[in-house]
Amino acid sequence: MVKRKKIFRYDNVGILFVLPAFLYMLVFVGYPIARNIILSFQDVDAGNLVRGAKNFVLFENYIGLFQDGVFRTSLLNTLCYTVLCLFFQFVIGFALALFFNQRFSFAKPIRGLLLIPWMIPITVTALMFRLLFATDIGVLNYILRSLHLIQENVEWLTTPGTALFALVFANVWIGIPFNMILISTGLTTIPKELYESASMDGANKAKTFWHITLPLLRPTIESVLILGFIYTFKVYDLVYVMTGGGPVNSTHMLSTYSYKLSFEMFKYSKGSAVANVLLVILLIVGVFYIRVTTKEEE
Amino acid sequence: MKKKRMLALLVTLVMAVGLLVGCGAPKEEQDVGGGDTPDESGGAEAVTIWYYWETEGHQVALDKVIKDYNASQDKYEVTAKYVPFADFKKQLSIGASADELPDVAILDSPDHAAYVEMGIFEDLTGKFDVSNYYEGTVNSCTVDGKLYGVPFGANCLALYYNEDMLKAAECEVPSTWDELKTVAKALTKDNVTGLALCSVQNEEGTFNFTPWLWSTGATSYDIDNENGIRALTFIQDLVNEGVMSKECINWTQGDVMNQFISGNVAMMENGPWQIPTMQAEAPELNWKVTLLPKDSEYASVLGGENYAVIKGGNVEGALDFLTYSTSEAQVKYLMDKFGYISADKTIAEGQFEADSPYQPFVEELNYAMPRGPLADWPSVSDAISLAFNKVITGNATPEEAAAEAQATIDGIIK
Repeated sequence: MVKRKKIFRYDNVGILFVLPAFLYMLVFVGYPIARNIILSFQDVDAGNLVRGAKNFVLFENYIGLFQDGVFRTSLLNTLCYTVLCLFFQFVIGFALALFFNQRFSFAKPIRGLLLIPWMIPITVTALMFRLLFATDIGVLNYILRSLHLIQENVEWLTTPGTALFALVFANVWIGIPFNMILISTGLTTIPKELYESASMDGANKAKTFWHITLPLLRPTIESVLILGFIYTFKVYDLVYVMTGGGPVNSTHMLSTYSYKLSFEMFKYSKGSAVANVLLVILLIVGVFYIRVTTKEEE
Repeated sequence: MKKKRMLALLVTLVMAVGLLVGCGAPKEEQDVGGGDTPDESGGAEAVTIWYYWETEGHQVALDKVIKDYNASQDKYEVTAKYVPFADFKKQLSIGASADELPDVAILDSPDHAAYVEMGIFEDLTGKFDVSNYYEGTVNSCTVDGKLYGVPFGANCLALYYNEDMLKAAECEVPSTWDELKTVAKALTKDNVTGLALCSVQNEEGTFNFTPWLWSTGATSYDIDNENGIRALTFIQDLVNEGVMSKECINWTQGDVMNQFISGNVAMMENGPWQIPTMQAEAPELNWKVTLLPKDSEYASVLGGENYAVIKGGNVEGALDFLTYSTSEAQVKYLMDKFGYISADKTIAEGQFEADSPYQPFVEELNYAMPRGPLADWPSVSDAISLAFNKVITGNATPEEAAAEAQATIDGIIK
């Protein structure tokens, strides 16, 4: 009897609750990651995927990557893309959230409608933007020409620099509603009394924003940015459909390059090395997030 | 505090792992492999096939052959599964490492050698008579003198031209590069560009570029010379002079065909499989097909699929089905519905009427060469497609692009 009591102590029951999830994670998350890490230290390609010796080559794949121009470009692209997307999504999303937080007719239905870009499958969005940005038949060039902002059609998707811009533009469009909705929800948690007493003390709009809204929204903002970073950093479908990593490899991201190495060129080990670089960066961000949130709670 | 930390770490892991799943864990849809497990219904052994044709007509035709085969005997029950082309190589690779493969794969011929090297295909030497097949098609599934597949059907690229546009511009059908450039210039006006060819930076683009490269006398492995540079310069000139749209780097062969039947493009390089669609979608359009214009020699590229039998699967059943599907009656039916040309010379020569739009492709097939066969062909192909994409976008001069491609290729073929 005594023993039984011990097993079902409150803390132990907690462990039992966590166990199914933990086992699931171990099999479906832990195992692929472990396999992937092992794979990245081997020399697996078409020749020895099924039979033949898989040799350990230590860091050869990783060293090779950093000497590989396309890898450096895709690392830089992924970082630029993420930072730019995050910045514009967040600023525009925040502004819209503040706007729709005002009480005016149809504020709520319109805010709901703005969620549509977030709900459309990304492949569809990507195809749509590919057409919008097309050189000769694209709507964007047509509008710019009609406004006399440009003389010649801009080759958005066939010039290295502008292709990345087009990707950022498309992803900002997709991501604004996500940022807006989360910040809107955060705004509703701020007690109205704070604003009332602030206005009695004579604080203007700007002051209440900097001293009430922003500090109280801090946890929300942190989650939005971190989640946004992770979602954006592992972008795949948008790039694959819109540019396929081109022109001349200029818009490859870590994810698309990893796919290309593994499944188009049969360089499985190199492909998994790229995937691991991506994983490590995301883990660093994750740990950073944990530090920030725990500090707050203390 | 600690629990929360763990939780957040796990959440991050879950989100990050989405990307890795593709590399490691098998997906449920692949569970169709296996092979010799008896079918529950009639005691017949199951034989599974993977293919990647997305055209409905192709799928229906293959389905009919399979149904007829299943009805003709009761020892085997064949089923086919569609795997999208973009995923096909990935699924075969994952299937190979997870031991979950079909019994027969119908795959793109340039990839054949890589899978042979993986060791997943059965040696078919002596099991099929391919002596009467086009040499290129047999070469694409032969490694070290051993036959590892049977050609399904052949196709190649030729030049389509809009007859009305040529007449209006009073142009003759071009047969050399110089003539092609002159005609393309004459046809380019307003919203019409003279020529289009799919130039996407992958195997599909390489497929469309190699005929131009080979026409100069250069090979796929020897580009950094006068000939290779001339081919790259020719394509770059076409783009710089505005007779070919730069957007060709984003156009698949299907996109190119759509531009052609919409009247935005006067001439295009494309394959015979487009003909059924073109006849259905634009019956009014007046077009003809001719050999690809030449630089120093006529050249085209061999395309098409090969059947391969997977090692360790239901080999007997697979062979039995292949014997049926490569018999003359079935080949004729399939080729007709596919818009393909039979890999068997005798069947191919009697396959079409003299004035059929397919007939030029039969002639072009005599000049068509396979890509590879080489296990590392995907890497060579990548270097080639990067080179012509660089010159089309103006990212490099033909000399620089050729030198860079050569350096990559030399690194692959030691």
